[in-house]
Amino acid sequence: MQREGLLAADQNKIDPSRPYAAREAHFPAKAKRVLVIFCAGAVSQLETWDYKPELYKRDGQLLDGGPAVTFQGPAGELAKPQYSFKPRGQSGKMVSDMIPHLAELTDEFAFIHSLTSTSNTHGPAENFLSTGSVLDGFPSLGAWVTYALGSENDNLPAYVAIPDPRGVPQNGSNNWGPGFLPAAFQGTTFSASQPIRNLKAPGSTPEEDEAALELLRSINQAGDADYSGDDKLAARVASYELAAKMQLSVPNMMNLSNEPGHILRSYGADSVENPTKAAFARNCILARRLLESGVRFVQLFNGSYASGGELNWDGHNKLKEQYDRHAAIMDQPVAALYKDLKQRGMLDDRLVVWCTEFGRMPMFQKGAQGRDHNPDGFTCWLAGAGVKQGISHGATDELGWKATENIHPLYDFNATILHLLGLEHTKLTFRHNGLDRRLTNVEGHVINEILR
Amino acid sequence: MFHTDMSQTTKPWHTCCWVSRASYLTFLICVAYFAALLESPCTALAQEVSAQDATDVDFVRDVRPILERHCYDCHSGDQPSSSLRVDHKASAFSGGELFGKKIIQTGSGDSLIIEFVSNPKHEMRMPPEGEMLSQLEIDVLKKWIDQGAIWPDGVDQVEIADPREHWSFKPLKSIADLISINGSTIDPDNPMWPRSPIDLFIQKKLIDTGLKPNDEATRRDWLRRVTLDLTGLPPSFEEISAFETSNEVDAYEQVVDRLLASPRYGERAAQHWLDVVRYADTHGFEVNTERPNAWPYRDYIIKAFNHDTPYDSFVHQQLTGDTDGYDAATGFLVTASVLLPGQIGQDEPSKRLARQDALDEIVVNIGQTFLGLTIGCARCHNHKFDPVSQADYFGMQAFVAGVEYEDRFIRDAESQKITEELRVRLNSHSKKLAEYVPLFPSREKRPPINARHNIDRFPSRKVDRIRFTVLATNRLEPCIDELQVCDPSGINIAHAKHGATVTASGSNTSPDRHELRFINDGLFGNSRSWMSNEDGAGWVEIRFPSAAEVDRIDWGRDRYSEFGDRLPIKYRIEGAFENDEWFLLAEHTDRSNYDENAPRQAIFLDGEDRDRRSSIVQEHDSLLNELRKYGDGGRPIFAGVFRKPDDIHLLRRGDPEQPQQPIPPAVPGVFGDLALDRYADEPQRRRALAEWITRTDNPLTARVMANRIWQSHFGVGLVETSNDFGRNGAAPTHPELLDYLAVKFVESGWSIKAMHRDIVLSSTYRQSSVPHAKGIEMDADLKLLWRYPLRRLEGEALRDSLLSSTDQLSFTMGGSGFDLFDKRGGLTGFEPIEVLKASNNRRMIYSHRVRRERDAVFGAYDCPDGGQSLPRRRESTTPIQALNLLNSSIVIQLTQKIASAIESSTSDDDALRITEAYRRILGREPKQTEIELAVPSVRKHGLDVLCRALFNSNEYLYVR
Repeated sequence: MQREGLLAADQNKIDPSRPYAAREAHFPAKAKRVLVIFCAGAVSQLETWDYKPELYKRDGQLLDGGPAVTFQGPAGELAKPQYSFKPRGQSGKMVSDMIPHLAELTDEFAFIHSLTSTSNTHGPAENFLSTGSVLDGFPSLGAWVTYALGSENDNLPAYVAIPDPRGVPQNGSNNWGPGFLPAAFQGTTFSASQPIRNLKAPGSTPEEDEAALELLRSINQAGDADYSGDDKLAARVASYELAAKMQLSVPNMMNLSNEPGHILRSYGADSVENPTKAAFARNCILARRLLESGVRFVQLFNGSYASGGELNWDGHNKLKEQYDRHAAIMDQPVAALYKDLKQRGMLDDRLVVWCTEFGRMPMFQKGAQGRDHNPDGFTCWLAGAGVKQGISHGATDELGWKATENIHPLYDFNATILHLLGLEHTKLTFRHNGLDRRLTNVEGHVINEILR
Repeated sequence: MFHTDMSQTTKPWHTCCWVSRASYLTFLICVAYFAALLESPCTALAQEVSAQDATDVDFVRDVRPILERHCYDCHSGDQPSSSLRVDHKASAFSGGELFGKKIIQTGSGDSLIIEFVSNPKHEMRMPPEGEMLSQLEIDVLKKWIDQGAIWPDGVDQVEIADPREHWSFKPLKSIADLISINGSTIDPDNPMWPRSPIDLFIQKKLIDTGLKPNDEATRRDWLRRVTLDLTGLPPSFEEISAFETSNEVDAYEQVVDRLLASPRYGERAAQHWLDVVRYADTHGFEVNTERPNAWPYRDYIIKAFNHDTPYDSFVHQQLTGDTDGYDAATGFLVTASVLLPGQIGQDEPSKRLARQDALDEIVVNIGQTFLGLTIGCARCHNHKFDPVSQADYFGMQAFVAGVEYEDRFIRDAESQKITEELRVRLNSHSKKLAEYVPLFPSREKRPPINARHNIDRFPSRKVDRIRFTVLATNRLEPCIDELQVCDPSGINIAHAKHGATVTASGSNTSPDRHELRFINDGLFGNSRSWMSNEDGAGWVEIRFPSAAEVDRIDWGRDRYSEFGDRLPIKYRIEGAFENDEWFLLAEHTDRSNYDENAPRQAIFLDGEDRDRRSSIVQEHDSLLNELRKYGDGGRPIFAGVFRKPDDIHLLRRGDPEQPQQPIPPAVPGVFGDLALDRYADEPQRRRALAEWITRTDNPLTARVMANRIWQSHFGVGLVETSNDFGRNGAAPTHPELLDYLAVKFVESGWSIKAMHRDIVLSSTYRQSSVPHAKGIEMDADLKLLWRYPLRRLEGEALRDSLLSSTDQLSFTMGGSGFDLFDKRGGLTGFEPIEVLKASNNRRMIYSHRVRRERDAVFGAYDCPDGGQSLPRRRESTTPIQALNLLNSSIVIQLTQKIASAIESSTSDDDALRITEAYRRILGREPKQTEIELAVPSVRKHGLDVLCRALFNSNEYLYVR
């Protein structure tokens, strides 16, 4: 690893026998750990956080000078927001009734309304959000962060990706892939309903497991005697020790039965009539437990793959009908998770990110009751450690179509997240195929306006 | 630098590096910064300048300070904005990527720099934000340009090396020269150490550093090392014992020859190649559907390595194999992920961008695989580090501008065999189907006529010819794709191959689609059919070489069911024997009425035995589908389709919406002047490219491949960045050795096996891997190879080894890949197959590779995911690897297999069984202490626990 790794400071070189050892940031960090809530399928900014009264006035009108054809086909008429909006909190910011629980927290978040993506196709755009490249094979944000900072827990993976109960997002594992970074920094996937694979050998008793491990230790001890100078073998032995710890810690982490009833209720994890919501809520509780335990980076997915908008936020045809369902799954659990983190004082050094790969068009698609892809202006938010509360930064035009004020490519968004973790995005590099690669390509500016 | 975030975007302006919208932002911020810096010095500067007004402008005194103050922040250094740097004479005059030499031209009126700095409203005003240059500063610039823009040589504060002087672009030296450069290296303490010139080069650097080569590895270690290196499988205990005790003088050579001759060698060597070209069996991107016909390319690669195809031919075949009998080889051109038509935006710009992305992948593949060049970096701007301009990039693109990512149907022995078998099966199946059709004439109604397949059965008659007369069609001139006349044994005697001849009332002929001869050519479908020249009428007569009994006629309009028009709905079939008296065999009259919407099946689907009927029909359909997939005599391979090349233009900023001048096929200027006509034929282009790549004076080709071979034995190449031999890549640790290998490689007739042989028999390779303190202190990274580098097995080698050690490995080669998951493509939710089954116990290279989905157990051992080229396997160490190898169902099952095999083949004696486990897994006898250590656990828990521990041991996992 030393051959290729290149962190800001030499003392940050990664010890192969302890790849997850905590490492110093480039400068003192506001946030030590991150929760990324990734809403797959492109949540409409117009139905959530980006209130556009002009659209009510021009509902049903054709947009002069608008595109004839958008991603999926011919464009139709402008369409008003499909939910009503109300002023919220002290700021009085207008937020949609689609997400009543999250709307109550409006004063907590720093909204960026002027994000842009470089792709209007889900797969590449989800890659772009997660890895800074539209192509497969580049390291994810979580991989970069754990590569830079390691972990704060010896018993758990440094980076956990929690897939939605409905399935994984488009481009699947590339969203938590290590790309060309060492595989140690790949996100480990598990969820409340899908535990880590191979934690337990089928049909083997704990005594047999221990006997095998004990034999392994002695075989290695004897066999490696001549190689004490080669840290590869020491690293391998250490990886088995961490694996053994995970065998104990992960099932414990997954066991939500010791969560009190009021917690389960507040997240909606007890919902009988909406099992998807209950399953997602359990993932939210798991996310909190991981963040409590020192896991560096938790990526919580909401929504899965392309499915005509049935399983994610891709509302092309019947947006209202589908968003009613998706909002019911996402809203209460995420709001409860945020409140839970806050109530436990965890937001002092944890960052919460809510994001989606792009936004949606102000017009409906021709002959449909939904909106097409729009990478030219959409909304995500940050909250928690180091982030200003209750502010809205940047803006789209009066229709919510294109970002017009303080335009920020997603590079800036990622640069800002790294900054909050004490990492200078231009210095966090890794040499690959002759190039010093970084998460933000040659782009990226920290969005200082939203920082505390 | 990043150069790859281009694909499938629909925003033309978003380009790769320096010129995207975002980088304008970068630019703006720079400007804001230096505008602040400027505030104070401005007045002073103005006074200074005005004092110079009357005299000649001096660059250093008057001009450079202006550039320094206003431009350097963005336009200097290695990565200047828009590739324009004004801190260096030659660079400044050659301009940036947007306007080239127009920035500074002979007259100030023509020089864009003056236009940009003078007009604050200009789109390209410079600086883009903040204060403009003062009038006096502008005047100085104007005057300087009008006086001839004199920029004296030697005044620049920076030096830029000539990129053409880069080591890998220079010609190879002769072996004699290389050895003489290396100098004498005989170590008086160890004069016999060098066995090969390779060792001279390695020894020289070691001596220079004060190190010595390590002791020689034990025979056992060397054998295990070389066997795993060359075949990806461990040697057996018996092989090790035989080698350890062999007295033959050429024992080592014999081993190497045996391994190189083994088919296991090609399976091993191909893996690295497939890593580099990012081979996979799915299309990638968001839909990631199966690419079911990619595997012939994988098989081609394995065969080519096994045959030791000379590397120059190997390159040729992968670029032009369609023209010289290596069809599958051109799979190389289309290994990348590609967007399928439905995934591309509906608008024209999206389509153009997708095409550009697809072509880019081919150029990238050629560049990094064969040449070790990151040519793709020049898609949007001139290469930052290497002498590859944007025009060079598009010149390379023009070589492959006729390639489409599609299946190509090839007719080869393999495909003939497959289709022949299918036809035989279909034929016998038709006979089964016919049992459900009543004889003509029938009292009950026979099934209605349908466009796909009709059967007429009748009492057997002796005929020497038959006639099929169309009396009416559903519309237009009748069309029949195949008329089969069967004898009672089911043989179609009407087939032209049996000598039957055909005549007709008249034919509408369109070549290769509708021809009379197609009616009995054995092939189905509209494009192999006969069409009459009369509306609603016409006849065909088939005459047999000798008389025969016949009792059934099968016919259809389009057996593949694409077309339903031109269907004969009234007809008469007659036969004759010897004289001219025609007798009726069958006609439409007892059939149910024609119904366009009825199922296109030869039999009624309803009836008492409905299930049986539907299953037989389904079977028939699937045979037809299968036959259709093989394109009637061809089989599809995903090896690209070649067509008239696109007209390639230089694209400003790589944006397909901003085409500039047309670019003909040409190699980068730094490597010569090979260029073709803009209208050159498609195959000619690829051939010219292949010829250029494999010229013996191409400085890159041999070096790059020799380095890959070296890498396959030491884990790291002499050039660590084996895909990048450019200026930004790593320098060779042993430049003379690399050149020596490259020269030898070419001299040997580009023999890859000969190079392996030289390397593994060298003293360098025979060193022990045991480290010592001095070596670690002086060369921890082992760049100098003072010991053999310890290496972990790759995921594939690990899986194959486990199967091999447990006697479960199947050596079946080739063909469609076996499944690692419950499905072969798609978005998500790949459930691993965790049951050990014989069909899956083949070598992992034969697995069906789903892009982005690594095998659930062994994938964690750094297997590639088919996204990006993987020039070299990484070795990571993670707890997930440990969990997988300790606990996965597959490993546990293998452990049980080997344990019970040992238990059933040895007597009930723990020590014996422990010994046998060590032999089979580690290939050696256990020490007495090891036996003693294992006995209590084995006694208590069975042999499984020991086998499980041994499979997880470092001794098993690492090549020593």
